[in-house]
Amino acid sequence: MGSPLALAPLLAVTAGALAVLLLEAFLRKKDSEAPAALTVAALLTAGFFTVLSWGEPGLGAFGGRLVLDPLARFLIVIFVALGVFVALMGLKYAARMGLALGPFCGLLLLAVAGLMIMVSTGDWLVVFLGLEVLSVSSYALTGLRLRDRTSSEAAAKYFLMGSFAAAFFVFGLALVFGTSGRLELGSGVPGAAALAGLGLIVSALFFKIAVAPFHMWAPDVYEGAPTPVTVFLTIAPKAAGLAVLLRALSPILRAEGAAAVLSPALSAAAVLTMFAGNLAALRQTSLKRLLAYSSIAHSGYLLVAVVARDAAGLVFYAAVYLFMNAGAFGVLIALSGRGFERTSLDDIAGLGRRKPWLAAPLAIFLLSLAGFPPTAGFLAKFYVFGAAVREGHIALTVAAVLASLVSVAYYLKVIVAMYMREGEAEQEPWLEEPALYLVVFLCLFGVVELGLWPGNLLTIIRQALPGFF
Amino acid sequence: MAWAVFIVLSVLCVGAVAAMIVSRNQAHNALFLVLAFASLGGLFGLLDAPFAAAVQVLVYAGAIMVLFLFAIMMFNLRRPAPREKKTLRAALAAGLGTVLFVELVLAARKALAGSVPTGAPGGIEGLGRLLFTDYLYAFEITSLLILAALVGALALAGKKEDA
Repeated sequence: MGSPLALAPLLAVTAGALAVLLLEAFLRKKDSEAPAALTVAALLTAGFFTVLSWGEPGLGAFGGRLVLDPLARFLIVIFVALGVFVALMGLKYAARMGLALGPFCGLLLLAVAGLMIMVSTGDWLVVFLGLEVLSVSSYALTGLRLRDRTSSEAAAKYFLMGSFAAAFFVFGLALVFGTSGRLELGSGVPGAAALAGLGLIVSALFFKIAVAPFHMWAPDVYEGAPTPVTVFLTIAPKAAGLAVLLRALSPILRAEGAAAVLSPALSAAAVLTMFAGNLAALRQTSLKRLLAYSSIAHSGYLLVAVVARDAAGLVFYAAVYLFMNAGAFGVLIALSGRGFERTSLDDIAGLGRRKPWLAAPLAIFLLSLAGFPPTAGFLAKFYVFGAAVREGHIALTVAAVLASLVSVAYYLKVIVAMYMREGEAEQEPWLEEPALYLVVFLCLFGVVELGLWPGNLLTIIRQALPGFF
Repeated sequence: MAWAVFIVLSVLCVGAVAAMIVSRNQAHNALFLVLAFASLGGLFGLLDAPFAAAVQVLVYAGAIMVLFLFAIMMFNLRRPAPREKKTLRAALAAGLGTVLFVELVLAARKALAGSVPTGAPGGIEGLGRLLFTDYLYAFEITSLLILAALVGALALAGKKEDA
């Protein structure tokens, strides 16, 4: 055993999940909001313990299988914020769409626990177990709209494809362990068999991150899932998977031998992902599907940070992406009605006149996703691409900038539809969802604040992650 | 004595698998598979691998196959599966079977030559010790994984409240 503080955040979230699930049995009122309150409390407790351990360089337990180092702490804080956002977004959405709030919150907490396990370890076996806890919870979350065909279809697709990825991962683990006898992240790759094993593991992670050519499942799943779950799926597995890739691959990328194979392969995957996501997004007429493709493109930009071995850039980009993506989907949730969602471009035509206080934040989130200054999205891309140039990946950076230019077209298409097209004149009533508007406001604040004054967060990140430069 | 047991178990195992493939009644298929798994468990026991033997019988022959039988009964598959054209599939299966057979022969020859190192000694005792010391964290996460699967299955199979 090591320090008990290392285990505290995970224990808080797990205990919260058990409490939420037990609460189901004792609740009289069916539409009680107690599970969401308990979820937020458990997540904040986990965040508190994480911040409490901030001063210590790195806490470990169980012989390196649990490592709470600065990178893990940053990501846990991001996951806690994401979990709180998703729980608040789902609060009223669950009632409107016929989701059971108890299982929704319980599965959400279990998924967050899986994320924490994944990012705070130095052992492939534990990464795999954490990934599976995350995946199994995500499959169920995706299908929670029981009466909706697309939701069930998305869950079935996600489950089948995810099982393939899990099989890839285990097979890769067997090859790595069989040839080297070790399961530490970032241990070298002696020989072709171990390299093949590592390739299998990386493809399985690519699958979870939705990196091309393993991204085919993503648009259908993101579109079919309940929108708060889509927020979770477009952010959490990407950040966690890329952090694992960074941990595992940066020692290998620094060495000479394997880097010659690995670095071009990762760059090619990043370029392919950016263009696959952006070009497909150009043709979409549903805003939810458009944002799904946009999130595939963003996995490509984030992968650039891994190629450049830029941990600080990755953490900053993930934090900014959390705000802008959650905000954009939050506005989509605010537009939905009882039992249905309004996601097509025709639905939001003229939104700028009908609901200016929803249209303006959405426009800012979209501009940030496209990477316009002075929003945070611009700085996030700027730091990541800058790190890539410093590391000498000029061609990759040029491709990434070109892909961002392509993406501007479809983000602006949405803004044009909101402000320059006439929509139907009927005035829908505002939804009474203070929690949802709070989330949208916090996201807006994050996007603008990090865009104008990024210094505070950047200083904290760079002080905590000096070893990764 | 051991030889006699080995011959009996092997014949049972191979025979059960062959019967499972030939038989066209789904319930019989499942029962033959249970027999094959059980005799395979016995073979593991003969190889001084009591843990593998117990897991084989408990998990495969016990839990998984009972689930299969339940599913077959629930779907009420009384009629046997119809005959299908299977020239292409048979050719493919034969090809893959040959590859697998060659692989097994090669592996067995290497194993008989004694070049494959054996695992850490200690058998079931060592396994238990590892599970509750070095791999305690991973072992506990597995329980979380099973919990997630259980909750997810219940949530998805739960009653559909009418709107």
